[in-house]
Amino acid sequence: MIRVRQLGYVLATSGILLIGQLGCRGYQYGHLIKNDQADMVGSHTAGSEVYNPLVEEAVTRLLGSCDPLPVSALEPNGMEQTRKICFVGVENKSAEELSDFKDQIYQMIDAQINRSGHFEAVSRRMVDAALIETRLRPDSLLVPSNMQLFTSVLQRQGQPIDYLLYATLTSGTTERNSSSQRNYMLTLEIVDTRSGSYKKEQAEIRKGYHKSPLGKLANYSLWPKAGR
Amino acid sequence: MFRYTTANKVAAISLIAVLAIALVAQTGCSTHTKRLQAPRHDFFSNDLPAAHISLAKLSKKRQDHSVAELDLAIVDLFRGDPITAERRLREVRAEWEELEQKSLVEQTSSYLTDDSARKYSGEVYEKMLIGVFLTLSSLMNDGVDAESYTLQTLNEQQEIVAKINEKREEPLSDLFGIPPVVPYMRGVMREATFHDNDDALRMYQLTSAMLPEHPQLLTDMQRAQSGNHSRPGNGVVYVIALVGRGPYKIETTAPVTQAVLLQADQIVSMLGDYSVPPTLAPIKIPAMSCPPKQFDLIGLEVNGQPATTTLPMTDLERIAAETHEAQLPSIMARTVARRVIKKGTIYAAKSQMNAGNLSSIALDVAGVAWEATESADTRCWGLLPREIQIARLELPTGQHRIALEPITSGRPSGPKTFCTVDVQNARNTFVMGFWPDKQPVGQIVISK
Repeated sequence: MIRVRQLGYVLATSGILLIGQLGCRGYQYGHLIKNDQADMVGSHTAGSEVYNPLVEEAVTRLLGSCDPLPVSALEPNGMEQTRKICFVGVENKSAEELSDFKDQIYQMIDAQINRSGHFEAVSRRMVDAALIETRLRPDSLLVPSNMQLFTSVLQRQGQPIDYLLYATLTSGTTERNSSSQRNYMLTLEIVDTRSGSYKKEQAEIRKGYHKSPLGKLANYSLWPKAGR
Repeated sequence: MFRYTTANKVAAISLIAVLAIALVAQTGCSTHTKRLQAPRHDFFSNDLPAAHISLAKLSKKRQDHSVAELDLAIVDLFRGDPITAERRLREVRAEWEELEQKSLVEQTSSYLTDDSARKYSGEVYEKMLIGVFLTLSSLMNDGVDAESYTLQTLNEQQEIVAKINEKREEPLSDLFGIPPVVPYMRGVMREATFHDNDDALRMYQLTSAMLPEHPQLLTDMQRAQSGNHSRPGNGVVYVIALVGRGPYKIETTAPVTQAVLLQADQIVSMLGDYSVPPTLAPIKIPAMSCPPKQFDLIGLEVNGQPATTTLPMTDLERIAAETHEAQLPSIMARTVARRVIKKGTIYAAKSQMNAGNLSSIALDVAGVAWEATESADTRCWGLLPREIQIARLELPTGQHRIALEPITSGRPSGPKTFCTVDVQNARNTFVMGFWPDKQPVGQIVISK
């Protein structure tokens, strides 16, 4: 007969070792990030590492391409006149849920417009109030009669506007085995409410997602053009 | 022949001490299902103060604390105190998050006794439903955090699925365990912003992926795609009906596992110097149970005119059963590991004592008794509904009297309950009631 005298010890100790692997109860920790430190890069979806530079670039480009009023255009009190922009909202057409980033993007764009000096964004609360009063959908404001109704409501509230601004986030995904590349594009469209003419500016950021730590090396350095 | 050496004495005393502790720990313990009977009965009989008192007592017990707090949150909610309900729910959520990483002491203790020795850290469906009831409690108060709660619940679901999938060969569906009411309520709130119809549409589409062909959702998606929240001068009332008595855990046995372990015992006993205690005590595991519904839907009348009925938006019985099934392998693994450790301890004791026939039999009897002390961990959130049903009513601004009555096969089957709502232009108002049977319990709660 096979002697397995220590079988009991083996069974008991293996159980204890199994338990030992579970470790002790842990806690969660937090820390502050310095302004000059880089953002964390999201492993599954985009985050501040994508949206912050996208907003920065797209708004800068757009405001740069819009003509501010000539220097001669001054307010009665001598202050430089600004153009009023009604930022209607951010539309998410990308493959990812924006979750809590949507309102953040809105606020970043809004703040950047106001910081420019030549342009001034209408308060979001006023925009919402006008949307509620007219029961118009943001995507229907480009229809001339709707635009007229909407701008007249804002005007009545003491907020005449020069431009309507739309932000749209889109994405394009390229799959390659267990890796993928997603191109995030923020498009800003600005419509002159008087002439109906519009301008559009975009900013794009490309991001790779990999299941393996070597994915980046394999797809972008070693065999960048080899699709299988 | 048994030799009384010092080492043997120490081993024997240690084993007796372990057995005694395990037996004492179990003495007088009833399962959570039994402890919950009285408060459940009080709550379902509409005696909320009595349910509150017995649950508050239960909440002082370390092991039952979190589940009793969850039940108290439901009692608070339908006593018209959503603020306290929200606070209790947040506290349990924080406690369970902290328990995510296991405590070594508790794990060891649970392997010597049973799973109920551990602090309860919640089932997947309960974690999801904390998110649901946080959202509903917030909506009934000021609604400030309601959107965040929906988002947090969806994020938590993704984390849970990723964690479970790490141990599975066949990955779970992305929609595993999501109560459809979570994305639905998020859609409802996004739509009411008047500028986030795209978000609302995404959320309704996600809900629809779980409830295809749901008539209300088809209308909701159409409205989010090309319509508007409400016509000028109108607001929207959402009636949220919690219907039926919800899922709870009962103790059951796993005869197949017991038979397999018994055979393994015999093999080990044949091959080894000593026998191991035979698996005579049944292997007890928790199973989900849910009583049937007493009626189908809640019919709604507005100002005396029949308006619509609620429609099922979340089937808690299905979610509880589905998530419990996914967790069953780990429950079984823990149960088997516990038996192996107990048998191993007895075997080690016999070996240490060089036990003779009589003492070996005595130790086997003690081992069987030790194994028989195990009971399934039936702790659970006991005052959940079986279904969450929702109806949408677009009504003109102003006060409206709404009657709510249980409907079975299209006919009224219970008494009418009345409430008055103040509808505001372009805004959502939420009305919520709980019908475990044909009578509602507590108050019909209306958002502020």
